[in-house]
Amino acid sequence: MVADLRRCVGCQTCTVACKESNATPPGVQWRRVFDIEAGEYPDVRRVFVPTGCQHCDDPPCLEVCPSTATGKRADGIVTIDYELCIGCAYCIMACPYEARYKVDDERFAFGDDATPNERKRADPRMLGVVTKCTFCVDIVDAGLAQGLVPGRDMAATPACVQSCISGALRFGDLEDPRSGIAQLLAENQWFRMHEAEGTGPGFYYLWDKAPPL
Amino acid sequence: MSSAAAGETRSVPTYCYNCVAGPDLMTVEVTDGVATQVRPDHKATDIHPAHGRPCIKAYGLVQKTYNPHRVLTPMKRTNPRKGRDEDPGFVPISWDEALDIVAAKLNDIRARGLLDEQGLPRVAATFGHGGTPAFYMGTLPAFLSSWGPIDYSFGSGQGVKCTHSEHLYGEFWHRAFTVCADTVSTRYIVSFGANVEVTGGVCAVRRHADARLRGIKRVQVEPYLSPTAACSAEWVPIKPKTDAAFMLAMVHVLLHEVARERLDLAFLRDRTASPYLVGPDGWYLRDPDSGKPLLWDTRSHKAVPHDTPDAVPAIEGRFEIATAIAHGPDGEVYQHSNVTARTAFDVMVEAMRPNTPDWAAAICDVPAATIRRVALEYLDNACVGETIEIDGMTLPLRPVAVTLGKTVNNGWGAFECCWSRTVLATLVGALEVPGGTLGTAIRIHKPHDNRLLSVKPGQDGFMASTFNPTDREHWFAKPTGRNAHRTLIPIVGNSPWSQALGPTHLAWLFLRETPPDWPKPTAPEVWFAFRTNPAISFWETAQLSATMATMPFIVCFAYTFDETNHMADILLPDATDLESTQLTRIGGTKMVEQHWHHRGVALRQPAVAPQGEARDFSWISAELARRIGRLDAYTAALNRGTTTFPLQGEHYDFSLRPDQVHDVDTVWDAVCKAATAELTGGKEIKDLAWFKEHGWFVVPFEQLDWYLTPTMQRLGLRYELPYQERLVRTGIELGRRLHEQGIRWWDEQLTEYQGVPHWKDVPGHWVQSVVALGAKPEDFPLWAITTKSMPYTTGNNIGIPLMNEAASNLRGHGAVTINASTATQLGIRDGDWVEVSSPIGTTTGRAAVIQGCRPDTIVIQGQYAHWKTPIAKDFAYPSLNAIAPLSLVSLALTDATGSGADVVRVRVRKVDGPARKRA
Repeated sequence: MVADLRRCVGCQTCTVACKESNATPPGVQWRRVFDIEAGEYPDVRRVFVPTGCQHCDDPPCLEVCPSTATGKRADGIVTIDYELCIGCAYCIMACPYEARYKVDDERFAFGDDATPNERKRADPRMLGVVTKCTFCVDIVDAGLAQGLVPGRDMAATPACVQSCISGALRFGDLEDPRSGIAQLLAENQWFRMHEAEGTGPGFYYLWDKAPPL
Repeated sequence: MSSAAAGETRSVPTYCYNCVAGPDLMTVEVTDGVATQVRPDHKATDIHPAHGRPCIKAYGLVQKTYNPHRVLTPMKRTNPRKGRDEDPGFVPISWDEALDIVAAKLNDIRARGLLDEQGLPRVAATFGHGGTPAFYMGTLPAFLSSWGPIDYSFGSGQGVKCTHSEHLYGEFWHRAFTVCADTVSTRYIVSFGANVEVTGGVCAVRRHADARLRGIKRVQVEPYLSPTAACSAEWVPIKPKTDAAFMLAMVHVLLHEVARERLDLAFLRDRTASPYLVGPDGWYLRDPDSGKPLLWDTRSHKAVPHDTPDAVPAIEGRFEIATAIAHGPDGEVYQHSNVTARTAFDVMVEAMRPNTPDWAAAICDVPAATIRRVALEYLDNACVGETIEIDGMTLPLRPVAVTLGKTVNNGWGAFECCWSRTVLATLVGALEVPGGTLGTAIRIHKPHDNRLLSVKPGQDGFMASTFNPTDREHWFAKPTGRNAHRTLIPIVGNSPWSQALGPTHLAWLFLRETPPDWPKPTAPEVWFAFRTNPAISFWETAQLSATMATMPFIVCFAYTFDETNHMADILLPDATDLESTQLTRIGGTKMVEQHWHHRGVALRQPAVAPQGEARDFSWISAELARRIGRLDAYTAALNRGTTTFPLQGEHYDFSLRPDQVHDVDTVWDAVCKAATAELTGGKEIKDLAWFKEHGWFVVPFEQLDWYLTPTMQRLGLRYELPYQERLVRTGIELGRRLHEQGIRWWDEQLTEYQGVPHWKDVPGHWVQSVVALGAKPEDFPLWAITTKSMPYTTGNNIGIPLMNEAASNLRGHGAVTINASTATQLGIRDGDWVEVSSPIGTTTGRAAVIQGCRPDTIVIQGQYAHWKTPIAKDFAYPSLNAIAPLSLVSLALTDATGSGADVVRVRVRKVDGPARKRA
């Protein structure tokens, strides 16, 4: 996943697209956008930073998971097997990105009762377990099964990226040098969040053009 | 992981038009008849500037559909007493009973006459933001058309919360009801509070993001570091309502501090009135025979009429004119002989001489060096002399623009801002050319869907403009609507939009109190309201609600209970966004910042069945027309094209029989066929079934048609700048008419009719308003302004929890935003409850303490303080509307265009929050 901070306007469209696509309950935001200020008046900068599970190379959440519910696929996507998760929440504590959530009881947008859409999307497997961004793995896998290319074909691309109105969020195969995001990383300067933690995040933030060689 | 619901899932193409920057194309996922999620319409990637992606508001429409607080059956009031503290006693009734009650009221009015004893329409109607309700009200416009005169002057914020002055002056000067940069080609934008990243819509957001990657520089000049400032190269924190001084100083720099040849002298000479000769009395000197304005021909060395072939006009200089005439107000003609004339350009140069950056710096609290640098960067980037080829035509490339935001663009000072912005464009030839300052929509002139075709030759070599008359014979001494738009505001004209443009606050004000020698207007006997909540969205909301409660019969198309329909007599539940049918135009150039390479139409269709007894607007409209015996006129209005396109054209005839009720699908099937036939010259005809499958239909739209200047050039017309002779004449005539009636309370507004603007103490108006309200200015030391966030801006979606959750990720949401040093001085910490007071009231909320705000300014975002709307009434968010005056004081805060601004002088103190109060 790539977030181009020069493009992001903090509109939160990705936040709600994720919530609808994944039917997460109120207060659970697998994708969200930080609104950050730095400096002192009048020399102030404000920046919008999309965040969520970083799908790390070496996920600290995986290391602490006692039930082996958290796993990592060959393509880099960090997953949670809800059948195995015991809801101990160690992973929530371990994640430096505050990307994980645990909801024990049903929550609905308008109070105690589910609306028809919430009833239709209700998934009891997601109660009492830890959840987080999956990079919309079901969409990705369904797309791959149809021969589509995630990141290039929207039908195989995470909902947040599909929805991003400024084009800040991009997705694809980092290891394919022809992919859009591989080219973006080659052409721009980027950083990863909490790089010093050594987690190897799979979420790259572009902030300027690469200097000329 | 998403739970894949069992059952049949289909994807329904439709659109979201919750804000004026729409419509946004989208799809709705429907499983077993239940809408589950909104998604982009990726099939539109190649034709939509934002790749078929809607903004955040669209994703709230699923919750909107299934909101358990919806009004789902018609209701009638049982408590005849109205007021905030009165329980309306709404009880459910059938559609038949509801429509019969409304029809009986209307039939009674029709029998007595559509106008009352004051000549005012007995029926009034208010629709919300930016005309967008029209894109949800199906065939109601045909019903309204079939009725006759309706008073649209009771606004819900129009004139004070839009970019009002830009609407009027923009359309006057360059057919630009809304104005934006040509973002795809520009290199440098100076944005005075234009919050395009929040309110510009998805097309603007995408275009600006692309531009940033391309290397554009945008300087954001505003008191508060908005998301747009966050996405800009530079933030310049300016004192509220001093933007005009900054811009006048930019004009000064270009006129007095750089070599003249750096300006686009050819553009000034040929496309503006710069060469027109102005006499010593301020009127254009005119040819005695033709009455045409004169200019000085450098070839023949004599004054000639402005349209003399082969003349090469002088832009600057003083010239001796042997004989000329001038046209004053009321048809007065003055004879001149042996008089010294200046060019209009010269008049501007002299008027701008005092407006140095040092002068402006003291007013704006912005360093003179910054103002000068911005002006010079603007000039440096203007690329005067460069060209670009667009659609096979060579045009100037002038990649600089100045854009204006709300509050900058309305109320006192807005005229000066609009003039300066447009003059800055003309000085470098950047008006209506690639890269420059462009208009997008027109609403005062016709046709509304093609601003190029609206350009017609008018007087003195300018475009024809439709002012309300100010001559003694034709002036409307007696208002035709309760806001007196034709009486007080010549430039607003009298198009279907004019009355609702403003001054709509005056309609509410005059119902409660009137200035001297102004009769109190009658209340409308029937008032319709849809997608609007003026009880929250206008000013001094407590008083306005009390005024609203005096209206005898109110019909609200109701989604949930709210603060306005709390006063209603009848509630009619309309089928909402995902439940109803309507075809609307897309593409071309549209409101805010939409420039497409296509134009066409899109269908909103019922993705799901209406909840409860909610009914499609087109069904409601036809039933109302039938019950008042206006079916013929209603159907005739449909056939004329009131919905979108005429149903009969050169290549087609899908007109409907006028003597019968047509069901919803029959009407829109005809509209779909007519629209596609019209778009293709009869070559392609798509019916409703086709649109239900495909969603939208487009044909190519040439980029050349984004720009007005080629049309002006073809017609040999000039932009009516820099000198405003027509406005001066209009203002004098209006003053005479008002004074003849003994009316003096509009005199300050008359001072705005100037040939060239001169700075007045704009912020002083608001300081003086404190005194007028009986308080001391020193007790209210801070400026309070407002701003928007994308989840809510103009969305009519306050009761949708998803929006509140997402908006809470943004700082300042539902809070009083205050500068950190100011907060420290006041003993306020982030999250503390604070009370904001103006001389007329208070509002409370939590403090959001930040650095990105001027120390003398606080910001209250959005329009909250709901007390009835479900979900929102529990927010406990503050509202500027609660503390902004709507009284004769606000009359003094109204400018000549009938516009006010969301600016209030306030004080702030820490208080106990609601929870502690309860404890």
